[in-house]
Amino acid sequence: MAADFWASYQSKQLLSVEEVSRVAEEDLELGLTLQDTRLIKIAMTTYMRDLAQQAKLRQRVVATAVCYMRRMYVSKSLCEYDPRLVAPACLYLASKAEESVAQAKLLVFYAKKLKPGPENGAYQLEVKDLLDMELRVLEALDFRLVVYHPYRAAVQYLNDAKLTDVMQTTWSLLNDVYRTDLPLLHPPHVVALGCIHLAAFLKDRDAKPWLEDLKADMHAVRAVQMELLDHYEQYANIDPALTAAAMAKLPIRTRAART
Amino acid sequence: MDRSGGGTASSAARAKAVARPSWWDLYEVVGKIGEGTYGLVYLVRVKDKAQGYKLAIKKFKPSKDGDGVSPTAIREIMLLRECCHENIVKLVNVHINHADASLYLAFDYAEYDLYEIIRFHREKLQYAISPYTVKSLMWQILNGLHYLHSNWIIHRDLKPSNILVMREGDEAGVVKLGDFGLARIYQAPLKPLSDNGVVVTVWYRSPDLLLGAKHYTPAVDVWAVGCIFAELLTLKPLFQGVEDKGMHNPFQIDQIDKIFKVLGPPSVDTWPGLAHLPYWQHNRQSIQNKKYDHPLLPSMTAHFAKTAAYDLLTKMFEYDPAKRLTAEQALKHEYFRQEPLPGKNSFVSGYPGEKVVVYPSRPVDTSLDMGSNEPTPVGNTANPASGQQRRFQQQGGDQSGSGQGGTTTGSRLGPGGSGRRSDGRSQGQGPSKMQRR
Repeated sequence: MAADFWASYQSKQLLSVEEVSRVAEEDLELGLTLQDTRLIKIAMTTYMRDLAQQAKLRQRVVATAVCYMRRMYVSKSLCEYDPRLVAPACLYLASKAEESVAQAKLLVFYAKKLKPGPENGAYQLEVKDLLDMELRVLEALDFRLVVYHPYRAAVQYLNDAKLTDVMQTTWSLLNDVYRTDLPLLHPPHVVALGCIHLAAFLKDRDAKPWLEDLKADMHAVRAVQMELLDHYEQYANIDPALTAAAMAKLPIRTRAART
Repeated sequence: MDRSGGGTASSAARAKAVARPSWWDLYEVVGKIGEGTYGLVYLVRVKDKAQGYKLAIKKFKPSKDGDGVSPTAIREIMLLRECCHENIVKLVNVHINHADASLYLAFDYAEYDLYEIIRFHREKLQYAISPYTVKSLMWQILNGLHYLHSNWIIHRDLKPSNILVMREGDEAGVVKLGDFGLARIYQAPLKPLSDNGVVVTVWYRSPDLLLGAKHYTPAVDVWAVGCIFAELLTLKPLFQGVEDKGMHNPFQIDQIDKIFKVLGPPSVDTWPGLAHLPYWQHNRQSIQNKKYDHPLLPSMTAHFAKTAAYDLLTKMFEYDPAKRLTAEQALKHEYFRQEPLPGKNSFVSGYPGEKVVVYPSRPVDTSLDMGSNEPTPVGNTANPASGQQRRFQQQGGDQSGSGQGGTTTGSRLGPGGSGRRSDGRSQGQGPSKMQRR
C-alpha cells in the first residue's frame, strides 16, 4: 500500500527482462523489431514529458504515466493500442491518480500542438479519443493505479550517505530510468540505489562502503546500473530516422477506422 | 471542442439499441439500493455462485464536463484495488461499459449501515444500542481507520451511512468502512490537500477543516469517528449545524457555532495553530469574540459521565489536530480494555441473557426494470477482473423483501454512497438527506 511497497500490488508484479522484451505477435507481423518497440516507447516517454511540461504537470505525474504505458505494453500490442493515443491517455489518467488533474481538452490541445513523433498529417486526436483510450488503459492495467517511484527513497539515501552533492546527477539518472523498463523490473529503492551508485561513480565519489553497510542487494543494484549504462550506449545518440522508421510501421488509424 | 460532451451522448444513443455487455450476464439483478449524482447502485446476485452470493454494484457515469472517468471513481478504484483489510469494504470487480463510457464497481454487499442502525434504535426501539455493540463497532471502525492512516490514506467522508456492517456468514457483524470517493493518499501531495475542495459532510467536519486548514491531516477522520461515537451512544448527531448551501468553502458558521456551544470555544493557548487558520484569522461573523455559556457536552452525555467512553470521546474531540488522539492511540484506550470487551461480531449479546437486536436490512427497490434500460451495449466488453478471491459465501435466501424496519426505498445511498458532484466535492448530503427522510 501507499506506505509499504512490499504490501503493494506493484511489488508482486515485478517482471523479468524476458517478460518486458517480448514483442507482441501482431507487432512482429507489422515488421516491428524489439529495437523498434524500444525506440517507440522512448519517443513516447519524451512526448509525455514535453506534453506534461506544456500542461504544467509535475514530474511524478509523468513518471506514473510512463509506468502505465510500459506496463500496458507488456501484455498489449502497439498496433492494437496506438502509442500516440496511449501516451496522452496515460498522462491524463496519471494526472487524476496523482490528484493533480489536467483538463482533457487542454491536454488534447497541447497533444495536437506537439505531435507525437514524425507526423504524417492523417493523424488526429480528439477529446473523445482520449476519453475512450482512458477507459481502455484502465482496463489494460487491470485497474491497478498506485505506482511507487524511487525519488523519495533516493533523497533519503543521499542524505543518509552524505552524498547530497551528487543529488543533481542522481536526479537526472532517475529521470532517465523512465526511458527504460527498469521501473517494471526492480523495486523503487533498488532503482534509487542503482542511480546513486552510478552517480557517485560519475562524480568520482565512493558510495561502496555505504552501500555495503546498507546490506543492499548489490547484484540488483549493479543490474540497474548496467541497464542504465546500456541504455545510454545504445540509445543516447540514436539516429532519429530509426525512430521515424519504427513509427512508420504502425498503421495510421483514421477516425473512421477507429470507431 | 463540443465533441467532448457530444461524443459520449452520441455513443450512448447508439448503444441504446444493442444488447448488454456480456459481463452483465454474470449477475442477476435483485434491485436498486441507492442513487447518487454519480449514478445508481444495484444489488445483484452472482449467478454461478451457489447460496445467492450478493454484490452491490455502483455505476459511475462519465462526468458531464467532458472529463472522462470521474475523480471519485478513480479514487475508489485506485485505493480499494490496493486495500486489503477486514474492516475495509472489498472491491470485488470492476467492469467497463464502453458504449456509454460508464464504470461498474462491484463490492461485497453489506446489509447494514450505522445510519440505519442508529435510526432503528432512535425511531423504532427507542432504547440505546447495547454497550458491547457500540464498543465492537467503534473498535472495528478505528481498526480500519488505523490501517488506512498507516498506509497514508485519509478517508475524508466518514459518517454513519458510510460505515457498513455485514449481516451473514463468517463476517456477520463485521464493520466495513465504505465509500472511498473522497479518500486520497496524503504522502507527499503535489498540491495542497485543500485544493480538492470541500471534504467531509458538515456534521462530521472537524474544526480545523471548518476553519480552512490548507494541509490537514488524518486527524480529520478521527474527529468524524468521535462524532459517530457520540451518535452511537446518544442516537442523535452531536453537532447538527444547518448547512449554508451557498458556501463553496469548508467554512460553515452554524456548524462552528454548534461545536463551540457543545465543547466551549477553542483558544490559541491550547491550540497554537488556530491563529493561522484563515477563517479564524478573518474572524468572519466575529467567531473569535462570541461568548459561550458552559459547554453542553457533559449534560448531553450525562448517562455515561466519568466513564472511559466519555474520556475517549473527549480525546477524539481535542481541538488541536496535533494533540487529537490518533486511531492507533484510540485503539489502546482504556475503554477497549474494560468489560464488555469488543468482539468481531458486533451483534451478539455482550453478556449472557442480553437480548440480541435483529436489525432491518437495507431497503431494496425491486421495481426497476433492469432488462430494458440497463446496462446498454456492445461487443467491446470488459472481461471481469481476474484473480478475485471470495472470502466467504453468504447463506441463501431472498432478502429483497426483508426490510422490516426500512420505510424508504430507492433513496438509500449505498454502498455507503453519498450524492456528490462529479468534481468530487462533497455536497454535505448527510444532513440534507436525513432531513428529507
